[in-house]
Amino acid sequence: MSDSADALVKLAIKAGDPYVAAAVHELATGALKQQLEQLILESRRTALSLARWEHTPASVLAALSGVGDDAVDLRLDKNPNTEAGILSNLYVDASNKGNLNLTRLIAQHRNSEVGVLKSIALFAEDADSLLALSKNPSATAEVLASLSARMLDDELSVALNKNIAQNNSASAELLERIYERSDLHTQAAIIGHVNCPDALIAQAMTSDDLLIMRTLARDARISTDVLLQYAKSDDAGVRCGVAANAKTPVSVIGELVSDKSEMVRREIASRNDLLPVHIVRLLVDTDVWVRQRLARNAIAPLPVLSALAGDTHADVRRAVARNTQCPLELLELLATDSNAWVRAAVAYQHHSPLELLIELAADEDVDVLSGVANNPNTPQQILEKLVASSEADVRRGVILNKAATRKTLLPLLEDPYYLHRVLMVANPSLQELDKWNLREDPDYQVRFSVYRWAVKNIAPINARYIVGNEVIRRRRV
Amino acid sequence: MKILVAVKQVAALEEDFEIRADGKDVDEDFMLYDLNEWDDYSLEEAMKIKESSDVEVEVVVVSVGPDRVDESLRKCLAKGADRAIRVWDDSAEGSDAIVVGRILTEVIKKEAPDMVFAGVQSSDQAYASTGISIASYLNWPHAAVVADLQYKPGDNKAVVRRELEGGLLQEVEINCPAVLTIQLGINKPRYASLRGIKQAATKPIEEVSLGDLSLTANDVGAANSMSRVRRMYVPEKGRATMIEGTLAEQAAKIIQIINEFKGA
Repeated sequence: MSDSADALVKLAIKAGDPYVAAAVHELATGALKQQLEQLILESRRTALSLARWEHTPASVLAALSGVGDDAVDLRLDKNPNTEAGILSNLYVDASNKGNLNLTRLIAQHRNSEVGVLKSIALFAEDADSLLALSKNPSATAEVLASLSARMLDDELSVALNKNIAQNNSASAELLERIYERSDLHTQAAIIGHVNCPDALIAQAMTSDDLLIMRTLARDARISTDVLLQYAKSDDAGVRCGVAANAKTPVSVIGELVSDKSEMVRREIASRNDLLPVHIVRLLVDTDVWVRQRLARNAIAPLPVLSALAGDTHADVRRAVARNTQCPLELLELLATDSNAWVRAAVAYQHHSPLELLIELAADEDVDVLSGVANNPNTPQQILEKLVASSEADVRRGVILNKAATRKTLLPLLEDPYYLHRVLMVANPSLQELDKWNLREDPDYQVRFSVYRWAVKNIAPINARYIVGNEVIRRRRV
Repeated sequence: MKILVAVKQVAALEEDFEIRADGKDVDEDFMLYDLNEWDDYSLEEAMKIKESSDVEVEVVVVSVGPDRVDESLRKCLAKGADRAIRVWDDSAEGSDAIVVGRILTEVIKKEAPDMVFAGVQSSDQAYASTGISIASYLNWPHAAVVADLQYKPGDNKAVVRRELEGGLLQEVEINCPAVLTIQLGINKPRYASLRGIKQAATKPIEEVSLGDLSLTANDVGAANSMSRVRRMYVPEKGRATMIEGTLAEQAAKIIQIINEFKGA
C-alpha cells in the first residue's frame, strides 16, 4: 500500500464505521484488512445490509461470501456488483446444497462466468434456472446453443426459444435452427432480432402474418417494395412501423401524414425528413400528440413553431419551448405563459439567455425555479440565491448545474438532504478539502461516498489531509 | 404551552426475510428501523405551531421502546423538538397498542401538555389505536385522521378537518386539550439540518422506567395486553400467474385478459 492508502485505511479503522470500512476495503492488506473485516462483519445485520447494498464494493462482497450464511449468500447472488469468481463459488455451494433458488439467481446474474452458465445449461434440471439462463444477456451464443440443443425435444423448449429469440447473444445459426420449430410469436421475435439471418428476413417478407409484418415494417433491412406494400396494409400497427422506418420513401410519408390512425401520424410527426407540405398538414392535426411531436421536431421551421407556441394545449407549447431549435423570440413569449410547465421548459432550455433566466428567477413555481437552477446560463448571483431555497428540487438543480462555481456550491455542503451531500462529493467544482470535510457526516451514505471518492483519487489526494487530520480541521471557505 | 408528540420507531422489511424461531415476528436481523412516517407529520405539525406562535411552545417527543429507539428520538430532536423521553423496561416487550397507550398516558399525566399528537397509525403494525387509547385513558376529546389543523396556543378550541372515505372532509370543532391523530400529507415534513443533527447528538434523552410512572411489570407486556400475537407467517401465494412469451405475445395476452374481464 502507498503511504496515502495506508493512512486512509488506518483512519477508516479509527472511525469504527462499517460503511467507511467497506469503502476502503479494497486498499487494505494483511492485518489492516482483517481489522476492516471485523468492522464489516461486526453484526449479522450489517453483513446482510452490505451484502444487499448496490454500492458495496466487489472486494467487500467477496469477503462476505466467506461468512457461510445462506441469507448473506442470497443477497450476494442478487447484488449486481458481485464478481464472477464469487458467483462461481456460490454456484458450487448452491449445487452441493441443491439450492435451486440460488442457482436460478446465478443463472440470471450478468457477472456469472461463461463456464458456470454453460454448466447450468448442460446440467441444471429445474425449469426456473433454465428459463433465467435463456434471458441472461451474458449467456454467450455457445451457451444458448448448448441449452437449446439439450432441451430440443423437451416441452420447455417452447418457452426457452421465446427467450432465446429475444436474447441479443443468440447467433444467426441458432435463430435459424429454432425458427421452423417455433410459433408465430417466436418467429416474429426472431425476425426482429439484430442477428436474424438475411435468408429468414427474405422469407418473412412473403408472410402475410400481422405479427411478422409489424416487426418487419420497422426493420431497415427490408426492401422498399415491401415498405410500399406495407404502407397500404389495413393494420395500423403495420403502417405505424412503416411510418417509423427511416427507409420509408417520401412519397409514402405523403400518404401516411393523413393516415386515419393517429398512432401512425404521431410516428410521422417525429421524422426528420418531412417536407414543408407534410409539416403544414401535421400543424393542423386534431390529435394533440401529433402536434406535440411536431413541436419537439428539430426540423420544424420558425413559422410552424410560432403557430404551435399559440396552441391551446399547454403540452404543445411546452414542446415548442423544449425544441432544441426554438428561437429566442418564442422563448421570450413562452417565458410569460400562464402554465408553469411551459415556463419551466423555457427555464430548462440551454439556449435561454441570461436576461430571460433572470426574469424567470422571480417566478414562484418550484419547477420553473428548478429549471433556472439547472441552467448553465444562469448567473452565479441568482444561483447563490437559489441555494437558499426551501425546495430541495431547486437546490438540487444548482448542485447539478455544471456552471455552478465552488463559491456558489459551498453552502450546499451543509444541505439537510443527505442525497445532496452525496452528490456534492462527486461535484468537480469543489476542492478536495471541501469533500474531505464531509467524512464525519451524520449520514452513513455520505461518509461512504467521501471515502470511496478518496479511494478512487488516492494518488492525487494530498496525504496531509489524512495524516495531518488533527492539524487540518474542518475549514469552511 | 406544551405539545406532546407520541412517536414510534417502526420496522420495515427487507425483500428477503426470515421469521423468528418462535414464529411470532420477523427476525430482527432483517428489519430496517426508522421513525414512523405518520409521526414525522405529527412532529412537523407541532413544529409549525411552535414556530408560528408568539408564546413559547415546548415540543416534547415520547416513545416506548428499547435503546435503539434513541436514534429515532434524536431525529426528532434534530428537527427541532425540545425534549425527548423514552420509556422502557424489558417486561414491556410484546405490549399491545392499548398497553403502549397506557404507558404514554402516564407520561402525559406527568408532562401535562396542552395538546397531544400521534400518527394515525404505525406503518409496521397498523393498529391505529395508540392515540385513541391515550384519549380514552385521559378522558380527553380526540379526533382521528386529521388532515388539517387550525389551532393557536392558548385557544380552548381547535378546528380540524378529518379525512373520510370517498374524498370527503369533515370539519370538526374540538375542545382542548385534545388528542389528535395526524394523517399523512397534512404538511411537508422538514429534513433535519446538519447543525440540528449535530446538536441533537449531544442532547440528553430522558430515560423513564416503569417505576417512574408508577407502573409495574404486571401492567405491561404480552401477558397483560388485551391482544397477543399468536403467529406471523407468509400466506400461500394466490392465483397470480407470470405472463411469459415474447414481448408481443405478452401484450396480446394482457389485451386478452382485459377483454375477458370486460366481457368482450
